[in-house]
Order: sequence, then C-alpha cells, then structure tokens
Amino acid sequence: MKAPGAATATAHAAAGARRPAAPVHLERLSVRDFRNLAREDLLLPAAGAVIVGENGHGKTNLLEAIYYLQLLRSARGARDSELVRFGADGFHLAATGDFPQAREVRVGFARQGARKKVTHDGVAPPRLSDGLGGVPGVLLSPRDVSLVAGSPRERRRFLDIALALSSPSYLHALQGYRGALARRNAALRSGGRRAGAEAAVAAWEPSLAAHGAALWAERLAWVATHAGEFTRLCAAIGERGSAVLGYTSRHAVREGGTAVLAAALESQRSHDLRRGLTHAGPHRDDLSLSLDGRELRLYGSAGQQRTASLALRLLEWATLRDAIGRVPLLLLDDPFAELDARRAERVLALLGEGGIGQAVLAVPREGDIPPDFTRLERFRVRDGAIEGAS
Amino acid sequence: MSAIEDLALELAKLPGIGRKTATRLTYHLLKQPPEASRRLAGALVTMAERVRSCEVCGNLTEDAQCAICRDPRRDPALVCVVEEASDIGAIERAGEYRGRYHVLGGRLSPLDGVGPDDLAIDALLARVRGGGVREVILATNPSLEGEATAVYVQRELKAHGVAVTRIARGLPVGGDLEYADGVTIAQALSARREMP
Ligand SMILES: [Zn+2]
Repeated sequence: MKAPGAATATAHAAAGARRPAAPVHLERLSVRDFRNLAREDLLLPAAGAVIVGENGHGKTNLLEAIYYLQLLRSARGARDSELVRFGADGFHLAATGDFPQAREVRVGFARQGARKKVTHDGVAPPRLSDGLGGVPGVLLSPRDVSLVAGSPRERRRFLDIALALSSPSYLHALQGYRGALARRNAALRSGGRRAGAEAAVAAWEPSLAAHGAALWAERLAWVATHAGEFTRLCAAIGERGSAVLGYTSRHAVREGGTAVLAAALESQRSHDLRRGLTHAGPHRDDLSLSLDGRELRLYGSAGQQRTASLALRLLEWATLRDAIGRVPLLLLDDPFAELDARRAERVLALLGEGGIGQAVLAVPREGDIPPDFTRLERFRVRDGAIEGAS
Repeated sequence: MSAIEDLALELAKLPGIGRKTATRLTYHLLKQPPEASRRLAGALVTMAERVRSCEVCGNLTEDAQCAICRDPRRDPALVCVVEEASDIGAIERAGEYRGRYHVLGGRLSPLDGVGPDDLAIDALLARVRGGGVREVILATNPSLEGEATAVYVQRELKAHGVAVTRIARGLPVGGDLEYADGVTIAQALSARREMP
C-alpha cells in the first residue's frame, strides 16, 4: 500500500514545478457523410498534419468535423441538417485518441427526427450537454475577423462557447438562462394585454435573474483575468496602440447581479409585454474591444481587427488549456491568409509560448505552409476525398 | 383498416411505446385466449367510466372525493401542491406526509401554450379562501417549469395570509457524493443547514 502522505507530497511538487500540460492527441478520425466528405478515415501524428486543398474542396469541412466533436454543433453556426452530405440520412463522426474524458468520442446525427447521439467510450452521457468538450480544441480562421467587426451577437457567442467549454457552472447557468429566457419570451407573446399576463411573465424572472447573475459574474471574472493578456497579445502581434478588452452592459453588473437583474426585469416588464421580447439581461451585453480608446468594430483597420480577433482566439486557447490542464488541439483554417508574414510569424511564436500540442493546418497551396509546419505530414483534399500526399 | 393495424395504432399512441413495440404487443395479445383480451378491454372501459378527478384536490378517484380528502386523520390545514396526480403516489409511498393535496394538472409551460389559466390554481386559491388552510407546501418538480410554477403560485397566495413553503432539493439518500452531478451538489451545498 502507498502512504497517502507521500502521494500528496508528489502531487504538490509536480504542481509547483509547473510541468507543461500534456497535449490532447487525436489519433484516428472517422468522418461519414459530413458536408462534402463521404467516408474518410485519417490517422493523425501526435505533432499534427497539414491539409492542402483548394477552397471549396473540403478542408474547412474536415476542421469543422473535428471541432464538432467538441461543441456538438457547427463552429460556423450551421444547422445539423445542413451538415448532412447531400442525399445521406445523417452524419457520423468518431475520434479515438488521448482526450481528457475518454479514449473514444462518437457523435451521430440522423435527419429522421433530427436525433443526435453522443457517446464517450461507448457510453451515452445522461444529457447531451454532458457530452460537450470531448475533443478539446480551438479553431482559428480568417472568418474570425467578424468577432471584432461583427455584431455583439458574435462576441457573446465567443464568450459563451469559451466559458461553457471551460466552466461547468457557466454551462449550467447558460442553459438555465436560455431556457428561462425562451419561456419568458413565450409568456410575453401569449400574454398580450390579458389580465394576469404580468404575473405569468414574472414567474420566470427569479430563474432568469439567478442564472443571468451567474453569467455576469463569470464573464466579468474572465474579462478581468484576461484583459492584461489581451493588451500584451495585440502588442506582441504588432499593434502599436494600446488595445483594451472590457465588458459592456446597460446594467450595473458589478453591483450584485441577481437583485440588479430582477429589478431591471420588473421595471421593463410592461414594455417587454408590448414588444413581446425580453430587453434586460446578459443576452444584450457585449465585449468591448478598443485601440487607443477607439472602438475597433467601428474605427479599426482590417489589419487591426484581424490582430484583435487572433488575440481573442489565443485567449480562448489559453482559457481552455487552463481549465482542462491539457494543451487543446489547434485547428488552423488558413488563418494567416490575409495577414502579413511578420504578423503570422509572431502569432505562431505566441502560440509556441504555451507549447503547441497537436496542430491541424489547412491551406490552399503547399507554398502557404509556414516554416514551422513544413515538417508535418501532409494530406491532400480534392472534391471531398482526402489522401496522403507524400 | 384491419383489426390488427387498428389496435397497433392505438397502442402506439401510448407514451414510451413506439410502432415496433405496439405491433409486438398486438401479436402477443393475439396469442392469448380471447378471455384475456376481454378482461383487458373491460378493465380499460371500467377505468375510463369510473375514474375521475376528486372535486376537492384533483386526485384520481372513483367517488366525488378521493380517499385522502375523505380521511379524517389527514390534516386539512396542510396542503401539498403537486403537478400531476401521479406525484401523489410517490409522496404517499414515502409514508411521512399526513396532510392533504392539490393537483395542478400540469406546470407553466408557455412554449407549449400552457399558462396559469390551464392549471387548477384558481381552485387552490378558492380552497385557501375557504379557510382552514395553515400551510401550502409547493412540491412541483425542480425543473425550470416546476420552479416558475412554484413562484407563480407562491405570489398568488401572498395576499391570502397562509404560510407557503417549497420542498428542498439536494443529494439523494443512499447516493454517493462522488457520482452526484455538480448542479445537485451545488444545490445541496446552498441548502445546507446547521447541525443541532
Ligand atoms: Zn381529494
């Protein structure tokens, strides 16, 4: 028998030494009828691989398939039914490798009845949401510029995904909040001017306020923890000005959430009843991103917006890494396409700081592969068919 | 339509029974002597004709009032509010509760078009106004809908000068802390009590 004291001492020593976290390793990927990929089986080396293929041939779809095993929905916000290959009844994805929760993660979707099934090592988790995060990874793509240039919805989605995948309590609050919000909105619409409508709407507010306050607390804590790093990352990538990450809300979110939100919901209730929509709460908030005091969304150049969006993805990657204690997969969908070579190089150097684990890079041409990735095994994708290139 | 299809179709409407099971049950009944099917049919008809809701609490009964409402040993000052009549069975099996019940007949569910008017809330208020009720225990489910229903009923009762309590939630007895989900543990922690 081992002495319990000795084991504890060893664990403390290991934590103190801050050994680099072990990388997540996706060894085998199987894709069936996902987007334009009919039937693909890939063996991926521990260091990763490069997928070379012209746009529209399926390299982005392959990265989306890998990411789907984590989020259980499309990274691009597509409906599940839109992900099924034309003419197929459903899609199926499977990954085996070294993941935090399991050795094997499977997810299937059937068009019939829009049924989705997830298993971890053959066992279906009690709820679909318990199956989130099976294959941890972060996806970087040129579309990420919409994180900065797009509507507040894009930034809330970013925050919700980054926090839900790294904090079970955030995921719980998010589900509770969305559930209560949908029901309060339904009550608002069915209420109209009926007597007693206010009371039927108000019944959802305690849940909404409690879950909403939990979202506020975790979002504010995340921003507080990462604001300094955001500034540093933007400068390191090449911004001369000072980039600032903040949180904006119409509410006094820092002054004790539940009571603040409950009061706001109550005071807006009759207005909400007329409009049939809930106007108060974290679902209307935004991340604020500025450079030298000017809002990047409105006044940033394309290059500045790109830098800030890359910095956000790097923060997401670090957040996930800290939460799971492992280096997440790095899924790079030609992310440097519209970045000058110097900035691309700096982004890669920043990723290297935390230790790059397994990386899957997709590029249109061999010549687009950055020097750091040229030694990786290459696959070619053409018309939805993937083959080893070497 | 054939008699076989007819029955399979009816059975498939029952909760938890799909097309396949319905067909299997139909063929199973076919293999039984006709007497067995007649008894089953008779039981169904008798149930449909005799069972109704208790006029006081909404529990299922074959009389105007259910056995619990007629039982003089049950405390009429204590009313436990449940979503469905089937919830009463669960509480009764525990054998602890000595008060009476009130069945709402569902829960607030605006996504399914169920509002307060669709539940037996007015009947509950009338019962409380009628006097003799000291405490109302809200035993709706710990779901989003169950919580909102409890909040709604509690607010409606506020003006009636009656104590309103909510059943606690937490860890199941005999369960293992190690296997409980985080939400349950968090709720059990926030509902902790001082030890005497
Ligand atoms: Zn009764």
